Amino acid sequence: MIASSVSTLVERAEALCRDLRLQSVRDWKARTGGLAIGYLPVYVPRELLVAQGILPVGLMGAGADLEIIRGDAYYQSYICHLPRSTIEMGLDGSLDCLDGLLFPAICDVIRNLSGMWQMLFPDKYAHYLDLPQNFDRELGGRFYRDELETIARDLAARGASAPTPESLREAIVLYNENRAVVRSLYELRAAEPWKIPTWELYVVLRAGLVLPVTEHTTLLEAYREAALADTTRLPMDQARVVLTGSFCEQPPLGLLKTLERAGCYIVDDDFIQVLRWIRSDVPVEGDPLENLVNSLLDDAIASPTRYSDQDEVGGELVERVQRRQAEGVLFCAPSFCDPALLDQPMAVAAVERRGIPWTSFKYSENSGQFQVIREQAGTFADSIKLWSEA
Amino acid sequence: MSKSRDEMLTAGIDVGSSSVKVAIVASDEAGEARLLGTAHERVRRRDAVDVATGLFETALSEAGLGRGDLGYIATTGEGEIVAFRTGHFYGMTTHARGGLFLEPRARAIIDVGALHTRAVLMDERAKVLGYRMTSQCASGSGQFLENIGRYLGVTLEEIGRLSLEADEPEQCSSICAVLAETDVINMVSRNIAIPNILKGIHLSMAGRYVKLLLAAGARDVVLVTGGLASDVGLLEAMREVTTEQGAELEILAHADSVQAGAIGAAIWGAFRARKLARQGMVFDAGALT
Repeated sequence: MIASSVSTLVERAEALCRDLRLQSVRDWKARTGGLAIGYLPVYVPRELLVAQGILPVGLMGAGADLEIIRGDAYYQSYICHLPRSTIEMGLDGSLDCLDGLLFPAICDVIRNLSGMWQMLFPDKYAHYLDLPQNFDRELGGRFYRDELETIARDLAARGASAPTPESLREAIVLYNENRAVVRSLYELRAAEPWKIPTWELYVVLRAGLVLPVTEHTTLLEAYREAALADTTRLPMDQARVVLTGSFCEQPPLGLLKTLERAGCYIVDDDFIQVLRWIRSDVPVEGDPLENLVNSLLDDAIASPTRYSDQDEVGGELVERVQRRQAEGVLFCAPSFCDPALLDQPMAVAAVERRGIPWTSFKYSENSGQFQVIREQAGTFADSIKLWSEA
Repeated sequence: MSKSRDEMLTAGIDVGSSSVKVAIVASDEAGEARLLGTAHERVRRRDAVDVATGLFETALSEAGLGRGDLGYIATTGEGEIVAFRTGHFYGMTTHARGGLFLEPRARAIIDVGALHTRAVLMDERAKVLGYRMTSQCASGSGQFLENIGRYLGVTLEEIGRLSLEADEPEQCSSICAVLAETDVINMVSRNIAIPNILKGIHLSMAGRYVKLLLAAGARDVVLVTGGLASDVGLLEAMREVTTEQGAELEILAHADSVQAGAIGAAIWGAFRARKLARQGMVFDAGALT
């Protein structure tokens, strides 16, 4: 009974993740008449969109479910896979239910994708969201607030409501609730990783990219309750690892299952960071737009897409390893991901200075063969279990 | 089943692509191990989990033990599919440990399985120092040899003895299973005697294995593990190739070589259980608490 409840929730979430034509978004639009605005990794202030009556829809590529035919024509062979599948979905009509797209500043490829989108779909709203890299409130803060006000004006001109302080506060409350449940699931997985397999956590989190926030929070709460109540999930002797590098193009589900079966408990990760980009609650009192701005400046997680001093790179990773009582690090980045792979040597140096074991491999969202990674992750887990000092 | 006061009983389950092996081992604090029992069964188109579960229960029952007597249930090979395991170790790790148990002088093993062959270099603690593995092509595997036996109307058990009877081995392709099988069909049509065909195949496989061992940096005593360790024709071919190439390798096999993975898993299981106990974690009938 309990196990079927977990599996029912996970199956529903997985179906939502794999629905490339976004039927749930089409249904929401038919039901409410509202706008749906897509966004790419890694972060957009979804509170602003919800405050305008908009459904934010996260796009993180098509995974392994879509054959890329036209998307490859837009990118050189040394470019990652996510923009190819995004273009493919745009051209095959999968995304025609979206009234616009936001392209957060991640890398040059996503910047170029925003330009292509404007040329391919001139009637749709497309905005390159330049997230500030200067965290001074008078500089980066003013700049970012101006960005948010521009987006709000643009979307209001396309039929969305203008955000009010009250609607912004209501949206902030809803996302604070969502972030709290996400945090609790990460804490629970770190404490009892056998109760919360990472591939399950991943799909229930990713369902939040297409669901209204309240529905997603309800789904997460139901999953947490069902997983905790499932007494058939017993602990195994596995190596506790932090997985890092997968913040933009997401790994295929098969890879996550492979890593767990290969003997690794993933106790922290970089997946779907939009749900956790702001670490704690965004304050509700005061000017809500200013609160959103300040949370991004002061309370965002460390990321290769966010400026940090060179000697600080890897510091937060080490802190996460220690806080989660992890025994090693898997550097698991998409092939050709410039932000992840440029930071990786510095992050490796940081974990090596602390004597933390690590290994690295790369993937593409449509990878289908994991035998080599399985062997690598498995022998890495063996080496931790048998030869680590602890 | 009796055990001394500081011994821990553990089980190793090696799920291979063609057979399942189970070993029950008693290990003491110093790492000394005694083999209490083994079991081995071909999968033969059945569900591998069912075969592993049945074999495990049989081995326990024959040893007069229950699951509660075990300090750790370790799997290896494709054993990640066995849900009641305490933990899983990888094939190289377990074959190295099992190889060291069976032949303490060995500092390298070559695991010749149904689908792959791996040469593994290790130290005196069975810590893996390096390895080399056959590529995707199946011509260096037991499954290939079994297929050839089927074409020739010879069982896997007969292959080794027949190979020793060869007087004029016929060389075949060592690169590609498809080409090698074509070679064999041609040999049959040319009335080449079955022992000479088999010896030719053995020499071809042995050439690849010795190359793997040398590439991995192996020297001195090498233990052959895995399903083909009981193939006396293959062992003889490996020794001939070693001599021919002037390689400093002593190729050995043990009566329990096929069980090396399961034995190694069981021994590592005890090692790991003790390590976890020192960290305050204990096991309860296969589950960490």
